[in-house]
Amino acid sequence: MSSQPSLDMSPATGILTTVDLNKGEFEIISKRKIIFRRFMRNRTAVAGLAIFLLVVAFGFLGGLVSPWDTTSIDPLYISTGPSAVHWFGTTSAGTDLYAQMVEAVRTSVLIGLIVGAVSVVFAAVYGCVMAYFGGKVDKVMLFFLETMIMAPSILVVAIVVNGSGGEQIRQNVPGWLLLTIVLLIFNWMYTARVIRSMAMSLISRDYVKAARYMGVPPMKIVWRHLVPNIGSLLVLEFTRGISAAILAEVSYTFIGIGVKYPNFSLGSLISQASSQINTLPWMFWIPLLFFFLLVGPLSLMNDGLRDAFDPTSLSVGKVKKKKK
Amino acid sequence: MIKYVMRRAATYLVMIFLTTSAGYLLAVSTLNPALLEQEKIPRPSPEQVQANFASLGLDPSLSAWDRYTQWLTNIFLHWDWGRSPNGAYINVEFGQRIWVSTRLYLAAVILSIIIGVALGVYSAARQYKFSDRAITGYSYLVYILPAPVAYFLVQMGAVAINSAAGQRVFFVTGISSPGVEPGWPAFVDLAAHYVVPTFCITIMSWGGFQIAQRQYLLDSINADFVRTARAKGLTRNQAIRRHALRVSFIPVAQSIAFTVPAIFAGGFFAEAIFAWPGIGLWSIQAIGAQDVNAAAATLAYGSFLFALGAIIADIATTVVDPRVRIS
Repeated sequence: MSSQPSLDMSPATGILTTVDLNKGEFEIISKRKIIFRRFMRNRTAVAGLAIFLLVVAFGFLGGLVSPWDTTSIDPLYISTGPSAVHWFGTTSAGTDLYAQMVEAVRTSVLIGLIVGAVSVVFAAVYGCVMAYFGGKVDKVMLFFLETMIMAPSILVVAIVVNGSGGEQIRQNVPGWLLLTIVLLIFNWMYTARVIRSMAMSLISRDYVKAARYMGVPPMKIVWRHLVPNIGSLLVLEFTRGISAAILAEVSYTFIGIGVKYPNFSLGSLISQASSQINTLPWMFWIPLLFFFLLVGPLSLMNDGLRDAFDPTSLSVGKVKKKKK
Repeated sequence: MIKYVMRRAATYLVMIFLTTSAGYLLAVSTLNPALLEQEKIPRPSPEQVQANFASLGLDPSLSAWDRYTQWLTNIFLHWDWGRSPNGAYINVEFGQRIWVSTRLYLAAVILSIIIGVALGVYSAARQYKFSDRAITGYSYLVYILPAPVAYFLVQMGAVAINSAAGQRVFFVTGISSPGVEPGWPAFVDLAAHYVVPTFCITIMSWGGFQIAQRQYLLDSINADFVRTARAKGLTRNQAIRRHALRVSFIPVAQSIAFTVPAIFAGGFFAEAIFAWPGIGLWSIQAIGAQDVNAAAATLAYGSFLFALGAIIADIATTVVDPRVRIS
């Protein structure tokens, strides 16, 4: 299915052939464009996208405007609140919170994007293969999937992050990347289950049967007929996966099994500040605020995308007629 | 029905075996307690460390596979889950903590299912009214709230209430007060300690059930068979309760199993925040102390809880869904 419907593709209906393209009586809008327009009409979703992009930009470019780095100590400003010199205040050791926030946001965004993107691709392939082959393959793969769901991921995270046997690995791989890999391993199963059931209903459609009888290779059918049809679900799962991974990082780091010093993440900042919430409140509330500025807009975007993809949804408003 | 549940239970047993084995092999190849021994003063010689661990059945010189088979035979023949690097028996340590955690998790699971499903039905029957928006909005808010941070904030709130009231209204750490008489006073004390953690896990867990139940009930509330029931003279509430609810509960019941891991993790976080001597806190500390056997035992426990949730889900499904009972 191509996303650009061309006129000669559907002459059978006899409708399109009667229209003269040059008169400009109508406009062909590609599917992508429709979805984009529907999304842009949703104000809260666009606001969410803008905030999200701003926070991401803060994570990647915020370090350029501040002279401080994450570890250097300023003896004149120890445990001080936000000021003109240290915009977000300083820690009890006298290090600059702004610089740490920049690195923390970058780490969390990277964890979210990597886990969200890779796990959704893997889940799509896994779910489609399960649905396409069915039978024994499906049974074995479903069994493996459910076993993965069953394994308590929190313990596996704890083992991998604490394990000293993997010392050599840790020297080459930074701590946050290790956490990313473990989160990735335990983040695709639910999506794969949903994709499987969706793909199963697609498999029984006539065009897939036709392709099968014509002898199109299985992987090609999966790629050409299944993946585009579950595309909207994949995008939704991608944005959901980003926030799930950011959330998981904060949760795990909060109880001490995630990102560790000298890496900074939102979780590590929130957790190190939680013991000082009464004496140094900005240390706790600023990272938490940034966390919500990341995750909140993501769920607004997710909502907007869902409405944009759903042709029956009325919450995206109506097309305004162009004035001629 | 019994046959169906038995067959599922057998599958779950195989799954528990697989996750625990994989977890053990992972733990045995990454955790290394000998490194911690070197931080002791006076520092023991490598031979002492080796002899010490060998006597505990934690011989680091054996290959991972040999240790695995040794560990597995001990479990199957003697139900012995091995020992910790400090010499404690896993069985004893585990036995002391298992009820603390299981009671907490079970109470939280049951409460969140009941509250979640009830609120889901309530909000679906009042779609787009204020109460629906408030309840569903709360459920979506919970989705983006990291559980430990939320528990921490509840704990701060409870502490604030305590200091405002000038006396201890809520217990925010620990599981029991020292020096309480056994019997009824001890039970009241225990219940008082349970309140805050159970409350925390429950308010963070019902959202998923609420959203699912609302969604599925809305799907079937306008179905033809519900309209037929209304036409036959049932009130709207009767029609929802007797016809729509039953159908819409099937997918919710099936999803129970898959929310148990989240509640399990939530219990871990709660134990870590509220300093509860349960399985969760213990296992995190044990893994920090490079304890392979404790890690494997908790993995088995976590998988077992999932299986329990899955079997509850299967039974609930067979009760409400006649198609499962017949086939």
